[in-house]
Amino acid sequence: MTGPAIDRRTVLAGGAALAGSSLLGGPARAAGSMTAAIYPGTWDEAYRRIVAPILKAKHGVDIGFEPLFAVDQLAKVAAARGVSPFDALVLDPGPRAAGIERGLFAPFDPSKLTNADKIPPGYADKYGAAVNAQIVGIVYNPKKLPKPKSWLDLFEEPYVSRLGLTGFQTTFGTVSLIEMAKKLGGSDTDMEPLFAAMKKILPKVAAVTSPAALPGLFQQGQIDVSYTNTNNVASLQARGVDIDIAFPDSGAITFITTLHIAKGAENVAAAYQYIDAALSAEAQAALMKPPANMIPVNKSVKLEGLSIASLDELSKFVSHDWSKINPQRAAWIERFNKEVTK
Amino acid sequence: MHAELSKRVGPKLLGMGGYRPAMPAAPHWLLASPLALAYGLFFAAPLLLLAWISLHEDAELTRMGFATWAKFLGDPFYVGVVIKTLKLGIITVIAASVLSYPVALVYYTAGPRVRRILLFVVLLPLLTSVVVRTFAWIALLSREGVANTLLQSSGLTTAPVPLLQTELGLVIALMQIEMPLMLLPLLAVMQRIDPRLVEASRALGASKWRTLAKVLIPLSLPGWVAGATLVFASSTTAFISQSVIGGGRLVYLPTVIWQQAMVLYDWPFAAVASMMLLACVLGGVVLLGLLGRWISREA
Repeated sequence: MTGPAIDRRTVLAGGAALAGSSLLGGPARAAGSMTAAIYPGTWDEAYRRIVAPILKAKHGVDIGFEPLFAVDQLAKVAAARGVSPFDALVLDPGPRAAGIERGLFAPFDPSKLTNADKIPPGYADKYGAAVNAQIVGIVYNPKKLPKPKSWLDLFEEPYVSRLGLTGFQTTFGTVSLIEMAKKLGGSDTDMEPLFAAMKKILPKVAAVTSPAALPGLFQQGQIDVSYTNTNNVASLQARGVDIDIAFPDSGAITFITTLHIAKGAENVAAAYQYIDAALSAEAQAALMKPPANMIPVNKSVKLEGLSIASLDELSKFVSHDWSKINPQRAAWIERFNKEVTK
Repeated sequence: MHAELSKRVGPKLLGMGGYRPAMPAAPHWLLASPLALAYGLFFAAPLLLLAWISLHEDAELTRMGFATWAKFLGDPFYVGVVIKTLKLGIITVIAASVLSYPVALVYYTAGPRVRRILLFVVLLPLLTSVVVRTFAWIALLSREGVANTLLQSSGLTTAPVPLLQTELGLVIALMQIEMPLMLLPLLAVMQRIDPRLVEASRALGASKWRTLAKVLIPLSLPGWVAGATLVFASSTTAFISQSVIGGGRLVYLPTVIWQQAMVLYDWPFAAVASMMLLACVLGGVVLLGLLGRWISREA
């Protein structure tokens, strides 16, 4: 045949060239660089703007952020089986407990942080360090609805027909639903009263949605009342949406968000420096300002412009024991699914 | 030079008359082997791995057994989810077909310039991503969106019709999102239908509708089957559109897979749901192929 012959030599040469070219690639890593998973939205934007430059200036570390929700972060680390795709994770208590159970974190030594003494006791332990306290309450549109006073209000008019329900996939969803169950006669472990009440209001609610879609629905006016954390409220307010948070009479809910180092992370030293930078007074004060409105855990930062005056107020809020809640969550998620499906 | 050499040496060496090539011709299947290898490695192997995971009984993948399959198939809720997913695919195919045929007919009868413009219009949605189109539909279907404003201002309804988070809204959005997949094969086949056949049919006395039913549709069937296959596969697996437009109350197989894998970390169960989705789509493809063959035999 005419033209280049496809014989053994050319095939082997071509294959070797292809294989050789793959060696040329590979991530360009400057000395002192790392990847951190971060919540999409406010967190992503705020950390890129505030924490990344501080980390670069103080320790010369370049950081790349990967926007992922908490459950997705754990799923990715678990699927990677020891070679973690990112070095640091940010998690709420529910996913944190799941991560501990599955052994997805590298052992954490709080003494390696320079800011360890500036955070309240118990906020840093052998799994990770808390960088933010979150408050969860009822969110509503003040222009269309009066301020709700209790979780039970959500089951009555005028709120129920404008209600956005979300399930147990997120921490804020789980804690809100637990509080509603408690008000209806249930408890941390008994959700039956809640499911019974939900069955009755399902035909009337405005929307049942995934937590990621919740801000969008508020923005479009599909729902006017729901439950979520203060960070979400702040980011929506910054976008000009009419939304405000109301603390129910049984008490607002609080939990801390923690940073962890993934097992099998490549850049452990840089990860410690990242957590240190996030805990520094400079970063925490900047993160406190709009539009992030994150509650700082560094005691040297004076609280301003937040819904609470000091960190001690948090002790008056409701918090939950996740070791009791986590074993039930899978069953609750499935039950919620089956109840709400048309 | 090889030819010369073999012409002189070949017959002597091989004891036969005639010219022999310098080297044996490579078997044809060797040319396809790189792609086959890539498919085997990156497509078939992960699928087999998925099937292997589905045969485990617990999330930590320690025990093997059929318990997960039994749990899925024995629960009427999940069987219902499979049926709903199939139903969504079938309804979307029907809706897309009903709306695509008029466009295809316009294309068939149009001149070359109109054909070019029409093709561009059909291709235009494909230039934007599925996610962008899905979110655009939210703006159209929401309570204060374009659809409701039109209905209310024209007096057809008095209160906003809930279109988001309903199956109707989902089918409407999916239909538009998948329509280019139906139209492109259909247009390609329509282009090649001989116009003289239509003229002959009309000349022999058939009405326009009869010509359409007996001549055009059967001839365009291969295109429809290809388009229907693509639309069915695409709409049953359209996770983004189903979750964003359908909302939390419409649970389909992709939703179950995501929840089980990403939120509950129950990989065997997610693997079972994935294999069921694969079976659904493959079943749909096979059935459509058989349907196409049956109709073309009947016509």
